[in-house]
Amino acid sequence: MALRLRLEDVSFSYPLGGREEAPAISGVSMSIEPGDILCLAGANGSGKSTLAQVCTGLLSPASGALYYGDRRIQGRSSLLQFRRSAGLLFQNPEDQLFADTVEKDIAFGPRNHGLRGEELARRVRDAAALVGLSLDDLASRSPFSLSGGEQRRAALAGVLALEPEVLVLDEPFIGLDYEGRTGLAEALMRYHDERGASIVIVTHDLSYAWSLATRFGLISEGRLENVMTSDGMLAGDADLASLGMQLPQWGALARELMRAGIAVDDPADPRSLAGAMAKRKEAAGAGD
Amino acid sequence: MPATEITIGQYIPTPTLLHRVDPRLKFGAVVIATVFIFIYSGWPLLAFAGFLLALLAVCRLPLLRLLKALRAVWVIVFITFLLQLFLTPGEVLWHWGFLSITDTGLANGLLFSGRVVILVILLSALAMTTAPLKLADGLESMLRPLARLRVPVAHITTVLSITLMFIPGILDQSHKLVRAQMARGADLESANLWRRVKSVLPVLVPLFVKVFHDADELAVAMDARAYGGGMRRTRLYPLKIHVGEAVLTALFVAACVGILFIP
Amino acid sequence: MGAADADVTIKVQGLSYTYPGSEVPALQGVDLLLEPGKTCALLGRNGSGKSTLARCLNGLLQPGAGRVSACGLDTAEAANALDVYRRVAMVFQNPDTQIVGSTVEEEVAFGPENLGLPQAEIRARVDEALDMVGITDLASRQPLRLSQGQKQLVAIAGAVAMKPHFLVSDESTSMLDHTARLRILELFEKLRGGGMGIVHVTHFLEEATLADSVVVLERGRVAAQGTPRQTLGDPEKVRSMGLDPLAVTVVAFELEKLGHAVDGDVLTVKELLSWLYA
Repeated sequence: MALRLRLEDVSFSYPLGGREEAPAISGVSMSIEPGDILCLAGANGSGKSTLAQVCTGLLSPASGALYYGDRRIQGRSSLLQFRRSAGLLFQNPEDQLFADTVEKDIAFGPRNHGLRGEELARRVRDAAALVGLSLDDLASRSPFSLSGGEQRRAALAGVLALEPEVLVLDEPFIGLDYEGRTGLAEALMRYHDERGASIVIVTHDLSYAWSLATRFGLISEGRLENVMTSDGMLAGDADLASLGMQLPQWGALARELMRAGIAVDDPADPRSLAGAMAKRKEAAGAGD
Repeated sequence: MPATEITIGQYIPTPTLLHRVDPRLKFGAVVIATVFIFIYSGWPLLAFAGFLLALLAVCRLPLLRLLKALRAVWVIVFITFLLQLFLTPGEVLWHWGFLSITDTGLANGLLFSGRVVILVILLSALAMTTAPLKLADGLESMLRPLARLRVPVAHITTVLSITLMFIPGILDQSHKLVRAQMARGADLESANLWRRVKSVLPVLVPLFVKVFHDADELAVAMDARAYGGGMRRTRLYPLKIHVGEAVLTALFVAACVGILFIP
Repeated sequence: MGAADADVTIKVQGLSYTYPGSEVPALQGVDLLLEPGKTCALLGRNGSGKSTLARCLNGLLQPGAGRVSACGLDTAEAANALDVYRRVAMVFQNPDTQIVGSTVEEEVAFGPENLGLPQAEIRARVDEALDMVGITDLASRQPLRLSQGQKQLVAIAGAVAMKPHFLVSDESTSMLDHTARLRILELFEKLRGGGMGIVHVTHFLEEATLADSVVVLERGRVAAQGTPRQTLGDPEKVRSMGLDPLAVTVVAFELEKLGHAVDGDVLTVKELLSWLYA
């Protein structure tokens, strides 16, 4: 079960040999409650990848504070310990595959954490099952012989095998088609439900995480502009265009209906949207 | 993620006086100077080093960048120095156990490591002031006679220049991969050297895979723009040696010779 | 200048292709006609063959069976390679693995240089291409230091400098954020208006709604072909081809089930709303 992850006024810049450089993220404060599914959305270059790495302890904040549960993460040993509770799946997960076999690659993470024998095997099995990879077929194959979609799943399994409490994914949906996206979303929800993990999806395209996320954090130029629920996204005047993003068609439709005063029970459910529109159409017809 | 600041072999866009010099002249000057620094020793070597730095400063080359390039190779320089220092026979100045430092050892140590340092300065200056494509053009032009012997000169030089361009990207990528594996518990910052070495393989393999994959994609993109279509490539900015720069290069070579006469 | 130049279409007839070492054909019996001044969106799930088809259009891949005739030139003939690349230009998905130049100018000049054009002609083409794409101010910048969107603009300028009849975009918007994607699509529209034929491989259905025609591939065959409305209006059909149906079409489908037929096939929020308020 995850603990609450809290950032207080966190900043980070990449050291570039003395040159003045705008910080990658500055003054970010937010909290990720246990079991949250947060979408961190921002255009390319907005700092979201940096924030993702800070949230998993891969980068240490230059200023500000990071808290996991009640403990402040400061200093090398608490950082290393926090890293064990967090997992980060990088963009292009294919980049992380290296081992001789799929099984060994998935086992890499838990093995680094000191697991061996039956426990290690169980982790690998469970992780593969979560992402829908059949170990019977693929266990002893080279990761490089897998298809693109399978490689994605293998890389995700490699991270899930660590059983992170806070799971962060950096642009996991790019390059996947509809089936691939659905499969990944299902795997994430399974993991979330089974382990009570907090999930953070970092992306520049809101449509990918629209149906998954409970909250959305908008990032622009290193600053966290706003955190809101999807209802908030629809109701609010967040100028998404200026942040380099747009609402997915579902959201755009729901927003227009809400603005016209048409009540929609569940803006994510097509039947609900259709129902609301039908009522309006009938009412308009009756008024003639 | 921002591009990494690597200081060896990276072209800098801020123009120096050397940027516009024909790459063939620069390349030739580097080759000739290299020959000379292996002939020089003692004061002439020092004089040449001073002359070179002064020349580069006059040409507005940022010397700080140059120093950074040296910092990157200090290990090689230091090892060269040590090897000469301890392994050269001569009159012993100092010893401890089986290690002894001789006078010739000291002299050679300084000489050899000094040569390495000057060589790095020369090559860095060349790389910093010559865009990879220009370098390839220059090389191709100089090696063109070999084409008559069926050597694929144009292809070789294009490959070389693109490799140079790939280097910053490869370094960026390796940083990313290090982080990805660190996220899976690989201990790449460990004080334990053995642990660190074991953790390098998980980074090297995907790095190579990606480099080859990217190179493949690049090759396809180049094909789609008619590269290697049998036509002789022309240039937006064809190479032309002007009298002025030819004269200056000649003066540079003359100076190199002149330094030999310093007692 | 001969009869070959009079034909400015790309004709694909019975095209089949299997990658070496693969048992399954990537393309089977594809027939297609592409015309200049029109946009064609190419859709399909991963592995459906859309990238393969794109690469057959400019001769990067030669047909295993069937024929591709690009502006009257048979792509299977090695002698035609240069002329085909000149007429059918291509930009790719990854902005970083297309760049060879140290400056934007040199990058854009790369194609014309490969064609062996005289220096004055190269200069003119580079300036025109930069102007057309709207990046003249980036001329002396280093391409690798630009944003992903800018890099793709540079890539398109490089293609435009070849003065092609067609521009094939192999998922060139996939890795870009919304603002950058819009800019690219606007540019495609501008080029189309100038007479270029655009073939845009994408998996964003919303981009496909703007095209003149849509082709959906499935397992190497053409599963659907027609106007955006004809091919994407039915969400069940779209789903069966492995694509994510447009929200508006799903809602329209539900509305029909409730007894409210939405006339025509609506594809955008605007269209659905005008039906609502009609």
